[in-house]
Amino acid sequence: MDGSNEIASYLIVLLFLASFLMNFTDIPQRIQMQRFSSFVRKRLYALEELEADTRRKAIAYMSSVGIKEPSKVLEGFIDNFFLIRPVDIEPTDIIKRLKHLIRVREGSVRDYVRTVLSEADRSIQYSVESVLEVVSALRLLNKLIRHYLELGLKYNNWILVMQLAMQIPEVVEVAKAYAGSIDAFSSGIPIGDSVGPLVAKMLVGWGEPTRELSEGTDLYEVEIDKRKVYVIKASGPGSNVGWPGEALERLVREYDGEIERIITVDAALKLESEESGEVAYGAGAAIGDPGPEKIAMERVASEHSIPLDAVVVKMSEAEALSPLSKKIYEGALRAYDTVLKIIREKVREGGTVVVIGVGNTVGVR
Amino acid sequence: MVALQLDSLLVALMIAALLLLLTAVLPWILSVASSKSRVVKEELVEVVKCLKCDYESVRKYEKGDYVGKVVGSCPNDKGSLVVKAIYVERYTQTK
Repeated sequence: MDGSNEIASYLIVLLFLASFLMNFTDIPQRIQMQRFSSFVRKRLYALEELEADTRRKAIAYMSSVGIKEPSKVLEGFIDNFFLIRPVDIEPTDIIKRLKHLIRVREGSVRDYVRTVLSEADRSIQYSVESVLEVVSALRLLNKLIRHYLELGLKYNNWILVMQLAMQIPEVVEVAKAYAGSIDAFSSGIPIGDSVGPLVAKMLVGWGEPTRELSEGTDLYEVEIDKRKVYVIKASGPGSNVGWPGEALERLVREYDGEIERIITVDAALKLESEESGEVAYGAGAAIGDPGPEKIAMERVASEHSIPLDAVVVKMSEAEALSPLSKKIYEGALRAYDTVLKIIREKVREGGTVVVIGVGNTVGVR
Repeated sequence: MVALQLDSLLVALMIAALLLLLTAVLPWILSVASSKSRVVKEELVEVVKCLKCDYESVRKYEKGDYVGKVVGSCPNDKGSLVVKAIYVERYTQTK
């Protein structure tokens, strides 16, 4: 037997051995688990760095608006103010209970910020609340990732670790968007989610609100092509989403249902095949809240048989949280044209229409 | 010159190993070769608009500005200039 044949024989034996190990043992899964856990761990360190950076920015911002001991305020907020969702096995009045719990939580957060920032303007208080929420969300995200990674390693659950590795790039993108939003909230720059309030502001010709309909939610009155237009949006320019459902309910009841049409404008999550800034319209309430505000819109519209239109500007989750991009701004301009078209074509002259600019009004007065 | 003598089985094994290696690195080669545009510069700008005429211009964002804020008067007719929008302008470069 010459030398080359000997090498070939060794290789064949090695191939059979490798094939046996790969097919009849857990070794490949264990190797994969190590690879995937190291992949997740690297991203987790990046996420923790992102959280630390966001904390530093939050502390600097709170300090700049006059909060004494900002790190204590931050620590007192993170891990607290959670919300336990109401019992859904018995769905009777679940919306009422959910609305109550959301209001209680929001009230507690507001009181917490007010105690450390009583002298400041309301829009600054709203922005501080958002900054605290962002850091808290990042903390929760990191804790969840670490939880699933450690759980997977503890029980040798390679499927869990692998799933985590598959999903973590997406989580990192969302976390980066959250981290980026802190600059927008602290500097008062509009984010992607501000398209609704931006369109509302364009409709009212940058005028001032007539009055406050519900807490942190303003009403504007304008006339467009001989149609009376009521515009509802959150009070800006601080980070605030207001209570658009409750405000609409109050307005429609005030006018005893004498409204011809309700148009909601909001940001909507795009599919990967769609372009950012695409505008689409349809029927229903365009609002992404946990339930109470959306159902309030649907209920009041159906109670008075008022057609409910939705105009949406498509964007990714990261774009919704990041400072407004040119593409989304151009989408807002197209959404404004679409709203005008609906008003002109579907509301008769002398008629009344309500337009609601849904979303976070940061950077939009 | 020494002639390298290899039998056909060894050559086949080496080709198989080479193909396996190629399969493993192919996704990486494809991802590197695909042309992607990357952001080279980001700038925060604001659109200012006159409330009286059609005057509109894009300028650098100034700290403290927000949409709806009156930021001066129109160079054409002295009407109020308001901030219409604030957005990030991204300049990209294709690889």
